Amino acid sequence: MSFLKLEGIKKTFGDIEVIKGVSFAAEKGEFVVFVGPSGCGKSTLLRMIAGLEDVSDGKLAIENRDVTYEEPAKREVSMVFQSYALYPHMSVFENMAFGLRMNKQPEDQIKARVLEAARILQIEPLLERKPRALSGGQRQRVAIGRSIVRNPKIFLFDEPLSNLDAELRTQMRVEIAKLHHNLGATMVYVTHDQVEAMTLADRIVVLRAGLVEQIGTPTELYDHPANIFVAGFIGSPKMNFLQAKAESDGKVLKLAHPAFTGGVLTLPTPKAAKVKNGDTVTVGLRPEHLALSSAKPLLSLTLDLQENLGGATQLYARSGGETIIMVAPGRPEIAVGDTIAAGIDPHNIYLFNASGLAL
Amino acid sequence: MRPSSSILHALGLCAVIIFSMFPFYWMVTASFKTQTDILASPPLWFFMPTLDNYRAIFADSKVIGAVGNSLIVASCTTALAVLLGAPAAYALARFEFRGKGDLWFWFISNRMISPIVLALPVYILAMQARLLDTHLVLILIYLTFNLPIVVWICTDQFKSIPSDLEQAARLDGADQFTIFRKIYLPLGAPGIAVSAIFSFIFSWNELLYALVLTRKNVQTAPVVATSFMSGYELPWGKIMATGTVIVLPVTIFALIVSRHMVRGLTMGATK
Repeated sequence: MSFLKLEGIKKTFGDIEVIKGVSFAAEKGEFVVFVGPSGCGKSTLLRMIAGLEDVSDGKLAIENRDVTYEEPAKREVSMVFQSYALYPHMSVFENMAFGLRMNKQPEDQIKARVLEAARILQIEPLLERKPRALSGGQRQRVAIGRSIVRNPKIFLFDEPLSNLDAELRTQMRVEIAKLHHNLGATMVYVTHDQVEAMTLADRIVVLRAGLVEQIGTPTELYDHPANIFVAGFIGSPKMNFLQAKAESDGKVLKLAHPAFTGGVLTLPTPKAAKVKNGDTVTVGLRPEHLALSSAKPLLSLTLDLQENLGGATQLYARSGGETIIMVAPGRPEIAVGDTIAAGIDPHNIYLFNASGLAL
Repeated sequence: MRPSSSILHALGLCAVIIFSMFPFYWMVTASFKTQTDILASPPLWFFMPTLDNYRAIFADSKVIGAVGNSLIVASCTTALAVLLGAPAAYALARFEFRGKGDLWFWFISNRMISPIVLALPVYILAMQARLLDTHLVLILIYLTFNLPIVVWICTDQFKSIPSDLEQAARLDGADQFTIFRKIYLPLGAPGIAVSAIFSFIFSWNELLYALVLTRKNVQTAPVVATSFMSGYELPWGKIMATGTVIVLPVTIFALIVSRHMVRGLTMGATK
C-alpha cells in the first residue's frame, strides 16, 4: 500500500474549481515534487495534504489512514513555508521546540531533539538568536529544523528556496537532497522551478490548471513527455517546437516545414503508423540535442544572437517565423547573420499530434 | 544629513515641543504660585515657589479620593477593554463568519454618536438600575466607548501578523487559544499597548459622564478639579495643583506601556 494516497482530490473556492480531481500515490521514503506554472494549484494541493485547506471532494490517506478531515496537527506532517513562518518573538531554540512543547514532550527530550536537529543543520551557534538576527539561509535552516524535530511522517516543502539568492539556492538544494538521503523521509516538495524538480525528485508530478499532466521520474519526463506542455516545461532552455504538415505511408514520416533543410524532414519511425496524410504534427527538438553540423543537417537557420555562457554558447537562430534555440559546446566560430546548419540524432526527435499528445 | 538641515530639523522640533509643552509648564508652575502671583500682569517668570496649593488640596480629602476613584475606573475599564477587545479583534482579523461586517460596523458605530446625545438616556437607565454614583456605571459606559478603539487598533495589528505563522502553529499542534496567547498576543503587543493607553487616557480624562452619573461617592478627578470653579472666586492655584496631580498617573502609565510600542516586532518572521 502507498504511504501517501490522494484519490480524486478536488478543491473549489466559491464557483472556481482550482484542483479538478488529482489522484496520486507516493511510497514511503519517496521524494515527490509538484511542479507547474504559477496558479496551477500545486501549493493548494500541498496545503490540502497538510490540512491547512479543506478538501472539497476526494480522499486523502496517510499510511492507510483516512485523514481527509483530520486536524493538521494529527496528520503528523510538517511543513516548511515559502516565507519560513518563524515565530519572530522566539529564539531559534524555542522556534524548533514549539511543536514538541505543544505535544507535551518532556523537557530533556525536547532539548535532545532540538540539539540533534541543530547539529544536522549546523545551526548550533544560532540557537539563542531571534529570527531577525539571522540571514535568509539561516532562517531557511531553522524552518527545516523545526520540521525535523517533530519527526513527521511526511515533510512538506512549499517553494522553500524561492526567497534565496541563486548561490544559496543551489547550496540549500543540495542540502535538502542530502537531508532526504540521510533521514530517508517521505517528502513532498512544491516548486515552479523545473531544475529543482529534476535534481531533487524521485518522482515529479507535473500540474497545470488543477490537473495532473504527467507523473514520472525526472528521466521519464525528460525522455518521454506525455504532451507538449510537459515537454516544454521540463528541460532548460525550453524545447523548440515546429508545426509541420505530415505525410505518412505507415513506415516513413515526411514532415514539411520551411526550417527543415530542403523543406522536408524524412523520418523512418514506427510512429508513422499513427499519422494520417495531412495531419499537423508538432516536432519537438531540445536545444541541448541540436548540434552544429553540416554532415547531416536537419535545420537551416540564420543566427540572430549568441549568448556566451562560458563553457557553452546559447544560439538563437531563425528560419522563417520560427526562433530556434540551441546550445553549442564551447565557442563556435560563427557570427550573427551567418547561415548555420543544425543536426540531431533522430532518436532525440519528439513528435506530438494535433491535440498536443506525444505520438 | 547635512548640518544645516539637521539644525533646521532641531529648530522645528523645538518649536513643536515648546508649543505643546508650554501649557503643561504653565500649569505646573502655577501650581507652585500664590493666587496673586498667578494673576500678576505681566506674567511672573520668577517667583517664590510655595507648596500651599498642594497642602490645600491634600488637606481636602476630596482630591485624594477622586484620584483613587479615577484610578479604579480607568484601570478596570482598560483591563476589561483589552481583555474583551483583543480576543474580539483576533476573531475579526482571522475568522470568516456570518455577520462579520455588521459586527465590525457596530463596533465602530459606537464611536460615531456624540457622547452628549446619550447622556440623558444613560442617566435614566443608570437611575432605574440603581447604578448612579457607582464605579460600575462609569466602567460600563467607558467600556462602551473604549471597546471599539481596542477592537479597531488590535484588529489592524493582528491582521498585519503573517497568517503563515498561525498555520505553522496549527501544524505544530497549537489550538486556537494557544495560537492567540503564544503568537498573537506577544506579536500584537504594540497595538494592545497603544489601545490600552488610549483607553486609560480616555477614562482618566472623561468629564461629561462622570459629571452626570456621579454624586458624592465616586467623583473622579476631573469632576473634582472643575468643582473648584464655582462660587465667586477661581482658586487657580488649587485647580492647577489638582491638574498636575491628575496628569501624573497617566503620564507614568503611558511611559511604562510605551516600552511595548516598538515597531518591527514581526521582523524576521518571514522572508
